[in-house]
Amino acid sequence: MDNRPSHHRLVRIRSSRCESPDQRRLRIREIGGAHVRIGLLAESGYPYVSGGAGLWCDRLVRGLDQHEFDVYAFSHSEAQEDAGWVPLPPQVGRVRTAPLWTAEDDGVVHGRRARRRFTEHYGELAAVLCTAEAPAAPGAAQGAAPEADRFATALNGLAELARDEGGLTAALRSETAVRLLERACRAPRARRAAREARVPDLLTVAAHLEQALRPLSLDWYEEDGLGAVDLCHATAGGAAALPGLLAHHFFGIPLLVTEYGVRLRAHYLTRPDSSPAVRSLLAAFHGRLAAETYRRAVFITPGNAHARRWQERCGADRAKLRTVHPGMDATPFDEVGESPGSADPRTLVWVGRVEPAKDLVSLLHAFAEIHKEEPGTRLRVMGGPSGAEGADYLGHCKALAAQLFPDEAEGPHAVGDNPVSFEEIGGPDLPTVADAYAAGAVTVLSSVVEGFPAGLVEAMFCGRATVSTDVGAVVEVIGGTGLVVPPRNPRALAEACVSLLRDPARRERLGAAARARALELFTVEQNVAAFHGLYLEIVARTPVHRLLLNDSGDPLPFAAPAEAHVPGHWTDLTPRAIPTWARNAPVRTTAPAPVTEAVR
Amino acid sequence: MTDLGALHRETAEPGGPRPPGSAPRRGAADPVKALLHRHRELCERAVDPLEIAAGLEAHGVTDRTAARFRHRDVFSLAEELYARVPRDDGGRPSTAAATPGARADWAVLTLLPGALCFASLTAPRLTHGQTRLLTVAAGILATALALRAALRRGPLSTGDHPSTAPRRSTAAFWTCWLVGYALLGDGLLDAAITGGPDGLPTGAAEGDWPLTAAPVLALALACAPAAWTAHLFSARARRRLVSSRGLEDFAVSVRPVLLGTFALFLCALAALLALSAALLDEPFAPSQTLALGALLFLARLLTVHGFTHAPKVILTATATAQAAALATVFAARLPGCGPLAAPVDTLATAWGPGAVPTLICGAAALTLLIHASRTLTRASAHTRPERPW
Repeated sequence: MDNRPSHHRLVRIRSSRCESPDQRRLRIREIGGAHVRIGLLAESGYPYVSGGAGLWCDRLVRGLDQHEFDVYAFSHSEAQEDAGWVPLPPQVGRVRTAPLWTAEDDGVVHGRRARRRFTEHYGELAAVLCTAEAPAAPGAAQGAAPEADRFATALNGLAELARDEGGLTAALRSETAVRLLERACRAPRARRAAREARVPDLLTVAAHLEQALRPLSLDWYEEDGLGAVDLCHATAGGAAALPGLLAHHFFGIPLLVTEYGVRLRAHYLTRPDSSPAVRSLLAAFHGRLAAETYRRAVFITPGNAHARRWQERCGADRAKLRTVHPGMDATPFDEVGESPGSADPRTLVWVGRVEPAKDLVSLLHAFAEIHKEEPGTRLRVMGGPSGAEGADYLGHCKALAAQLFPDEAEGPHAVGDNPVSFEEIGGPDLPTVADAYAAGAVTVLSSVVEGFPAGLVEAMFCGRATVSTDVGAVVEVIGGTGLVVPPRNPRALAEACVSLLRDPARRERLGAAARARALELFTVEQNVAAFHGLYLEIVARTPVHRLLLNDSGDPLPFAAPAEAHVPGHWTDLTPRAIPTWARNAPVRTTAPAPVTEAVR
Repeated sequence: MTDLGALHRETAEPGGPRPPGSAPRRGAADPVKALLHRHRELCERAVDPLEIAAGLEAHGVTDRTAARFRHRDVFSLAEELYARVPRDDGGRPSTAAATPGARADWAVLTLLPGALCFASLTAPRLTHGQTRLLTVAAGILATALALRAALRRGPLSTGDHPSTAPRRSTAAFWTCWLVGYALLGDGLLDAAITGGPDGLPTGAAEGDWPLTAAPVLALALACAPAAWTAHLFSARARRRLVSSRGLEDFAVSVRPVLLGTFALFLCALAALLALSAALLDEPFAPSQTLALGALLFLARLLTVHGFTHAPKVILTATATAQAAALATVFAARLPGCGPLAAPVDTLATAWGPGAVPTLICGAAALTLLIHASRTLTRASAHTRPERPW
């Protein structure tokens, strides 16, 4: 690696730089590595207002105010950039953002040697993509290692080229890139789908690779950029993890990858209309990238067992996997959770965004049977539609409810009402989500597709007995504290609901257990604590070895003493077992090690 | 977990989740076959087992469902499906890339410069004095604005190519110079060789420094054929792109399209030139206008497809050469510099003053044509930017 300062060119993709005034403060390093400088790599839109999944990043950063965060973020669109940032706490030292949706050509035209380097590395990358088998089945880990090495070498070669010479964006868009792809596809060992690739496929793949490799051209990989952090925490796989991989390559920074949804899986679902060649090559690229990310990461933290299985499937080492459940704020639900008796014992509640995947039709059919068994039961469906499709579906469900259930009244002189009601949260009757859960004794989840069921966790926080379908991470979340039925099975759903409606004691027992479970596993505090522990473990296990320089620029040998690498709080007075004869003689023979800059 | 277990026993049934009312519920000897039938399309088009696994999960298949098919997890179920489905990789004919059809807005816009130019050329003949000056100024402004609008939309716009940043001021300036030379240059050169000019141009086609308005009108009118031929070229090229198998195939098949398009444009320009010469009652002198039109058309075509460097250099060089030719004639009047004018003088006396721009623009256009036949036949010149995410 050519790491001479003269070779650091700064003319690359423009990235905005904003450093808060607090950045000038002295970095106080506590003994034991308790102060960690974390490079948070965000793609899900953390510092941006419109970043939907950025909430947990915000909670993480706010929860760990004893550490320092450098945020390196990608923006997804111009509108997102224009919307601005959320207010940042003082522990965020600096924020650097770069657009992924556009790349400016930096105007560098490669010379002959640079072109040759590009040809070599890009050709290698294309060859790996075209010849590769399906990425890393668990049994084939041994055979896949050379291919993974080739991929990593090609990727690092391109990154070094971008760092030394610039101009990678133009090169990735050039005809040379397309030609190299074509040559790789026509090579004798190319796989069948790649051999079928036609010119438009090659162009699509080249364009997608250019887009995916944009992080390589950033100016983040400097001594005072990503080189200065103690560890990189990528908040998603894919593009967000790429700077972490390069920081590991250039500076040896350890990498922690958190994936709440597996990027590779999302990628498979996003391109259904492309030709087989395009899908095959891009799947190979993303599979290789994921495998390389998992290989380099010190720890990988999937958000649930489903993500974990995908990661294992893509080649993640089981020893590195630590499931960290997403944390949710429990405080809004405390009041409801502590007063279980307030619920109407004859009301079922469904809360969520109305869309076809929630399968409300099945719920309505189930409720028809429940209503037959237990007349007088009510079903309250709370939540607005999501999108136009959701609105259509909501209309369909309302019509179905009106058909299935006639209005019923208390007596011959009262005005009747339908036992199924559709309500929006946020009105005067239901100001908050907690009130929605409070309205019923049993919460029902009838989805056919679900990722991490946030609504179920909220119901658990509220201490409500739940009946849910066996999809996504439901079983993992609910544990044994609620009833689970197969999806698309209204009769099973109805039986489970009826059994709960008839048994208040069991309802109460399950609700209390669910609340206890949720408070233990799905709070923000456990999430933050888990990451705090991981940070300390990473810094302790794989410290970054930096060469410290004195004032005149010469390396300082022994600047970081050996004790600094001893894990644990080696200067703490209390936990050490000190012999009684030593306690009375606190005489120091040597000066204490310098506190700042000592601990690595 | 007692609750769970009891419910599972009661409700689990072989075959997993089915849409209500579908085929036999029990007793199928090969449950995977039914699943395969249900997800046949997904399985046939999948490129690897993981894609099937992702698709199955999106349809609500979980590990518990996979257990009913006697598989450990969704991945191994997907592998079985992937292995069992017959795969015909012969490939569906890839859907033709939808080329944007001709649209009314740019079709009308490309007609505007010609119409306005014609109006501003005929208006001075009907007006006198102060009004005439104002009319000329308004005409030039209107034509320039119309031209700008015509180049902002449709096939002559650079908007849909990622690498053409708005750095076209130099090219625009030199284009203006070239058009200005077509209007005034020949008269000036003629006058300079014979010892003039003795005054500013009067705006008439005869006199000491005559204007040649027909080429300018023809060029303004040629905006429309330029847009249509550029549209034709990109549409044809994209069709070839879809149908060709390799990059070499594509280059070979696109080159005749490029040359044909270019020839078509030249024919249209010649016809328009004859028309405008007849309209304005001027002599029909096609060579220099054709050369200039060819140069401008090729420069724009290259710019539209993302190659901005070469047109800029060539336009600058052409304009500089024309200016230098004029300058040598004037410089020859200085004592001792007589021989400077010899080449231009010889050319102008042998073939008329139009020979100078013909030669210069022709050479430049030829250079650009050779360049275009190498660059515009690349597949990467015909990509359209894809909206990310």
